[in-house]
Amino acid sequence: MLSQASHQDKIPTSLLQEQTTGHDHVWRILDTEAQWSGFSQKITTADNTALVESHFLLSGLRCAACAGIIEAGLQKLVGIEKVRVSMSKNRAVITWSPTETKPSSILQAIHDLGYEGNPASHLADQTVIAAKKRAAFWRWMVAGFCMMQVMMYSAPSYFASSGQISSDMYSLLNWASWLMSLPVLLFSSSTFFSNAFQDLKHQRISMDLPVALGILITFIVSSAATFDPSGLWGETVYFDTMTMLVFFLLSARFIEVRMHSKTMGALEALMNRIPESTLKLNVDGSFSRVLNKQLAINDIVKVNIGEAFPADGKIIEGETQVDESLLTGESTPINKHLDDNIVAGSYNLGQSVNVMVEGLGDATQYGKIVNLINQASIEKPRLSRLVDRLAKPFLLFVLMSAGLAAALLWNGDHGHALMTAAAVLIVTCPCAISLATPAAMLASASAFVKRGILIKNLQAIENIADIDTVIFDKTGTLTNDDIQVTHIKPERALTEAQVLSLAASLAKHSTHPISRAIVGKSQLAVLGHTEVALVAIKEQVGLGVQGQLNANNLLRKTIVGQIKLGSALFCETSVTDETSHQVYLADELGLLATFTLQEQLKPLAHETISTIKNNQYSVELISGDQAHTVNNIANTLGISHFLAACNPQDKLARLNVLKQKGKKVLMIGDGLNDGPILASAHVSIAMGKGVPLTHAHADYILLNGDISQIPTLIAQAKKTMQIIKQNISWAIIYNVICIPLAFFGMISAWQAGLGMALSSLFVVFNALRLSRFNAVNQLAGSQG
Amino acid sequence: MDILYMLIPLSVVLGLVVLVGLWWAINQGQFDDIEEEGQRILEEDK
Repeated sequence: MLSQASHQDKIPTSLLQEQTTGHDHVWRILDTEAQWSGFSQKITTADNTALVESHFLLSGLRCAACAGIIEAGLQKLVGIEKVRVSMSKNRAVITWSPTETKPSSILQAIHDLGYEGNPASHLADQTVIAAKKRAAFWRWMVAGFCMMQVMMYSAPSYFASSGQISSDMYSLLNWASWLMSLPVLLFSSSTFFSNAFQDLKHQRISMDLPVALGILITFIVSSAATFDPSGLWGETVYFDTMTMLVFFLLSARFIEVRMHSKTMGALEALMNRIPESTLKLNVDGSFSRVLNKQLAINDIVKVNIGEAFPADGKIIEGETQVDESLLTGESTPINKHLDDNIVAGSYNLGQSVNVMVEGLGDATQYGKIVNLINQASIEKPRLSRLVDRLAKPFLLFVLMSAGLAAALLWNGDHGHALMTAAAVLIVTCPCAISLATPAAMLASASAFVKRGILIKNLQAIENIADIDTVIFDKTGTLTNDDIQVTHIKPERALTEAQVLSLAASLAKHSTHPISRAIVGKSQLAVLGHTEVALVAIKEQVGLGVQGQLNANNLLRKTIVGQIKLGSALFCETSVTDETSHQVYLADELGLLATFTLQEQLKPLAHETISTIKNNQYSVELISGDQAHTVNNIANTLGISHFLAACNPQDKLARLNVLKQKGKKVLMIGDGLNDGPILASAHVSIAMGKGVPLTHAHADYILLNGDISQIPTLIAQAKKTMQIIKQNISWAIIYNVICIPLAFFGMISAWQAGLGMALSSLFVVFNALRLSRFNAVNQLAGSQG
Repeated sequence: MDILYMLIPLSVVLGLVVLVGLWWAINQGQFDDIEEEGQRILEEDK
C-alpha cells in the first residue's frame, strides 16, 4: 500500500493543480486509501499494474454529449486509464492509477469541465445490485434460449402421427430436450425454488409454491419418461411446457423490475447529495474534517457554500440562503438567519455558516426519504396479493385431487396409480393462474407510463380499483400555483384599463405573488397597457405598495396624493366582500378600484371532478389554505365536503375518521404537508412537479400534473382487475375440466401440453388488450 | 434422415456453447447498459 506522502509526490503538475476552488479542500480528504476504498475497488490489469476503479455520481449532465465531454476531458489527464460515463444513470466509472493521480484531482477535473462529481457511496450495495441484475438477466436469457431449443425438439411430436417417428429418434429428441431443460431447472427456476422455500419456512403459501412444485414434478416425470420410456411414468415428456412456463414467468418479473428501477433511478442523485465528510468544531476552536458517521448530536459543524448540510440542525453563527427543494419542491433560495432550522440534504447557497447538529442519519427528514426510497427499491416483486390468496386453496385442491387419484387406484396397479397422480399434477400446472395477474398489470402499467403516469408498485393497481372516496389537495393539485386577477371594479369615473395600468405600475415594484398577478393581468389585457410614471414608490412588506403621480400627469385631476395598492387595512377602506380574496387601489380621497383575485383552476378540473362524482365516489377537498379561498374553489367545482386551514395532523385526522368508517381513500396531493396523508391513504397520487418526499410516499406520480388523467386511471385499474378476474376464472375452468380427464386417463400428453400452452397464451393475449388505453368519461368498471 | 442422428446432438452441443458464451458476455457487463452503447456511435470520435 502506498503511503499518503508518496501519492502527493507523484501528482502531475497539470493545469488543474494551479486552480484552487472552494471544493478542493473538501475532496482532499478522499485521497487516502481508507477513504477512496468506500467508492472504489482495486483491479489488476494483465501487465500487473495496480489500478483502481472508482464510481462517481455526476450532476449537471444534460444530454449524451455531456457524457462525451467528460470522457474526453478526463481521458487527457495523467494517470487516468479509462472513463465510462453513463448518461441515464448519472454515473461515471473511472479507472485510474493510484501512483499517478488521486480522487481529489479527478473531482477537481470534473468540476473544471463544468459538472459536479461526488463519490458514489454505498458502493457495496451498488455492486450487489449490479450482480443481482446480471443474475436476473442470465436466468431470463437461459430460460428464453432453452425454451426455443426445447420447442424445436418437441415440435415433431406435435405433428407426427403415431409410428411416423422411430422410437430411436423419439428418445434422441427427448434426450436433447432433457439436456436443454437442465439449465432452465438449475439456473432459471432457482428464484421460484428459493421463494417457495422461504415461504415454507415462514409457514405461508404464495403462488411460488405451486409453481415450484409444478416445475419440479413436470421435470421428474419427464426425466423418468426419457430414461425409462417403458417404465412406470409412461413415455411422454413435458419439457416444452416446463421451459415455457419458466420463461413466461421470468419475462413478467424481468419487465416489472426494469420498470421499477426506471422510476427509482431518477431519485438516485437525491440519495447521494450529502457529502461524506464535514468540518467539525474541535474543543480548541479549530475545525477539522471528519466523516459524517463520526458526528454526534450537539456537535458544531461548518458548512461551506455549495455544500449540502449533513444533518438537521440550527444556525448558531452567520446567515445564508439555502435551497430546500428537497422538501418543498421550490428551488427559490430561502433566507436562513440565526436560530433558524436547517434541513439535512438542503444546499447552502449564501455563505458558510456554523450549525449545531440536532438530528442525524435516519432521524432526519432526509434520512427518512432515503429509507423510503431504499425500501421501495429492494421490495421483492411478488405476484399479486389476489393470486397469493388463491394459492392456498389451489394448492390444496391440486394435492387433494392427486392424492385422491392415487388412493382410489392404489388397490389395482401401484404404478398406474402414481402415474395418474402425476398426470393430475401436470395438467394442473399453474401457468395460466400465475400469469393471470402479472400479465394484466404489466400491460396496464406500460400503458400508464406512455401517458406520463409513473407507478411505484403494481399492487397500487389493485388498490386504486376499489376506492370509494377521493380527497384532493388544493394548491398545486386542483389549482395552478399562481393566482390570477378575475375581476376589476373601478370607482369614480375611472375605466378598468386606467386602474389596471395604475395598479400594475405600482405592483411591478413588488415581488409579492399578488403584485405579480396584477402585472401579469395588465400585460395580458386586451385594453392595452400604458405605463404610468410614478414617484416616491415605497413597499410596506405584508401590506402593500404606495407611490405618487408625476406632476404633469393628466390623471391628477381625479387622483389626489398618495396612491396605495394593498390590503383593506393599508388602503384605509372597509372590506366589501369577505368571501373572496381582494386587494384595493386607493388615494387620499378613498377607494379607486377593487381587484378580485382567485387561484386559477387547472384545465379540465371541472370535468375531472364531475366525472369522478358521477361515478358515485365521494369527493372531498382538504387544504391548508384560508377558509374563503377553499370555499370558493369547492363551490366552483361543486365539492360539498371541504376542510380549510388544515395542518398535516388535521389532514391525517380526517383520513383516520374516514378509515374508521371503512372508507378506502384515494389521496391526491403535491406538497410536503401531504406526505403523511399520502403515505397512510389506501392509495395515493402525487404531482410530478411536487416534492421528492411526496414522490417517495405516493403510489402513482402524474408527471405532467394533468389531473384529468385520474378518472381514466381509475377506469383502467378497474378494467385491469376485470381482466385479471377473467384470466383467473379461465384458468380455474381449464383446471376443473382437465383434472377429471387426467383422472380417468382420457387426455393424452400432447393434448394436455397444448391445453396448457393455449391457456397461457389466452391469458397473455387477454391482458394485452389493456395496453390500448383510451380516455374515458365513464368509469368502465362501475357499471358492471 | 439418418443425418438427424448427428445433427440433433450437434444442435445440443451448439446450444450449450451458446449458453457458455452468454454467461461470459453477461459477466463481462455487455448487457449492463443496452441503450447507452447504441448512442455512442452518434457522438464525435475522440
